[in-house]
Amino acid sequence: MRVRFLGVGVLACLSFLALAAAAGAQPCLIFVHGKQTNTNTFTNYNSARSYWVNGSNDFVRTATKNFAAYHYVVGYNGTRPYFEAQSAGEVANEIVNATNGGADGGGNRCRTTFAQGGTFWVIAHSMGGTLMDFVLGNNDPSDPNFNFTGPFDQVAQRVSMVITTGGAHRGSQGADAVCLQSNPFCSFIAIFIQSCDDATFWLRTSDDVQVRNVASAPARTVYLTGGYEAIFGASACLTGEDDGVVQYASIFACNGSATASYDNSNVCNNNSKQETTGFRNLDAAHENHSDERDASDTDVRKAIPGGIWTCGGVPCAPNTTVQSAMNTAQFVAILY
Amino acid sequence: MFAKRTTLGILMMGLAAAAAAQIEPGGFARETAKDYRELARYPESSRVLKRGEEDPIRAKRLPTRQSMPGPDGSEPILSVWTAKISFEVGQPIDLFATLETRAKAVRPDSISGEIADASGAIVAQVTYKDDGQEADRTAGDGVWSARLAMPKGLEPSPAASYMVRVKARLADGDLRDGAGGFLYSRPSAHLTGRYRDLLRDGNLVVAAEVDVKEAGRFHLAGTLATAEGEPIGTAQSAAHLEPGRYWIELSYYGLMFHDRKAAGPYRLASLALSTTNVMPNAQNDLVENVHLTRAYRTGQMTERPFQEPRLLETAKRLELDADRAQGRTAPEQQ
Repeated sequence: MRVRFLGVGVLACLSFLALAAAAGAQPCLIFVHGKQTNTNTFTNYNSARSYWVNGSNDFVRTATKNFAAYHYVVGYNGTRPYFEAQSAGEVANEIVNATNGGADGGGNRCRTTFAQGGTFWVIAHSMGGTLMDFVLGNNDPSDPNFNFTGPFDQVAQRVSMVITTGGAHRGSQGADAVCLQSNPFCSFIAIFIQSCDDATFWLRTSDDVQVRNVASAPARTVYLTGGYEAIFGASACLTGEDDGVVQYASIFACNGSATASYDNSNVCNNNSKQETTGFRNLDAAHENHSDERDASDTDVRKAIPGGIWTCGGVPCAPNTTVQSAMNTAQFVAILY
Repeated sequence: MFAKRTTLGILMMGLAAAAAAQIEPGGFARETAKDYRELARYPESSRVLKRGEEDPIRAKRLPTRQSMPGPDGSEPILSVWTAKISFEVGQPIDLFATLETRAKAVRPDSISGEIADASGAIVAQVTYKDDGQEADRTAGDGVWSARLAMPKGLEPSPAASYMVRVKARLADGDLRDGAGGFLYSRPSAHLTGRYRDLLRDGNLVVAAEVDVKEAGRFHLAGTLATAEGEPIGTAQSAAHLEPGRYWIELSYYGLMFHDRKAAGPYRLASLALSTTNVMPNAQNDLVENVHLTRAYRTGQMTERPFQEPRLLETAKRLELDADRAQGRTAPEQQ
């Protein structure tokens, strides 16, 4: 009886150590949400956490392999322009807190701090991508807006990479349509873009508001994935493939016009990005802008030019179906 | 029956293709680390360009077209753009628009525009014309143009973004909407037109003199090219300056001249000055081909990689992660 009890105890300890070791071998994932129409994610952790959840589907749980990897959920003011203290500044401060082993509003913390040798990957959705471009493009004293609203230099030093899903790197034609206030056919998802507020004004596709105008190339690589599942009504207002809110030219950080028409076969490769370095393609998913952040649509994934998937030892041809049922959270989970 | 077999066949082929695609465990972290080791050869403030790569500083200052289809994605498509991304106070602001079906111009009944500030307030209105007058270069070419003079009293400090809301009325009465914009800038410093170059620690330093009218932070970025104009690399720097005249230096890391096998003289192909740390940043006009350096030899430049320490540290950590993912190192050893 005693032996059995000890055996169970040892097994439990070994299981715990194995889980801890496995988590230690993995990066800590830091989640940065997208545009908001109110300040809830900034003032209430539960709102920031809920951003990644849809019913029983949970992007954070899936991407962390059922919490085997540690995580931290950032909440910022998604109604403010991407460069402000409550947006970029808040995100930068929270990332530094995460890398110091501090807890997010829900008590989640990265197991290994930066000082202890930890690695940190940022997963950003929608406007979260624009914001990370600004932070990582202003980390050096030679950059135009060095440490403008936060410790961008520390973020760049500590973050290993960023993965953006549906990132609005070049703005959104959805924001254009909302700020035009004239096209009733563009019925965008209200939780993302409801009005031409300050954040929306700075997420338009016009050259003068682009993040590349006020930042240099990101100091750490920003990896790009995004959806091509249309949203009825909204997608008609976007050029080329899109996720119903953001068009491919922006999701994949293409140079040239932010409204150029692209699809899975011809979207800009890694040599034609908004900066000469720092942006790389991963793949595309049959998800819309909402699915991209809540793991609710386990669907087809496609290869894109310069993307990550290999077929028979060589890069898969663009538009090849590389997975028949995988959502973006599952995709993130196979990258580490 | 045949259709069923065909469908099944296509499905099986799709599954087979999907099954064949893969991502190597640890490969993602390792490839990222490899990129960082390559990038670490240069300081963040100076980068080499690949042969044939366009001038990135010039590219960032080139205006692009914003296009928007009609309802349900229908044509014709309205495209709008400006002569520049940023206009300094006092400069005429030239606005353009086209209406096209399958890349062929469609003649609208009229095109008009409203200029709105960040609060949505309309500060000016314009009418586009295709008559070859003022901003319109060629009559009847399908490019409609308008010249805007910003109203007095809107001088920004140091800059403001304006949205251009364009409305095209088609011959059949339908409407098309377009959204563009421009930056209205009042920079606190200007280039004087004086430049000089020197070698320092195996790097090529090109300095530009600026005249600062109001204290602020200023960012200068420039692309260096061969004498023939082939871009070689970029450099940037920033400084807080009080009113007066100063030299801002751009240090082109010496390794780039070896990597590109390019001997001098070198041409300062493009130079962009901005007043920064206030949003939006105020942009001066881009200047191009303003200076030719002395005929430096490649041998005068450093061949030593910069070895940017923070990037190398990140690469090292990613390589450890990759090793663990591939089972090469026990997780406990971290």
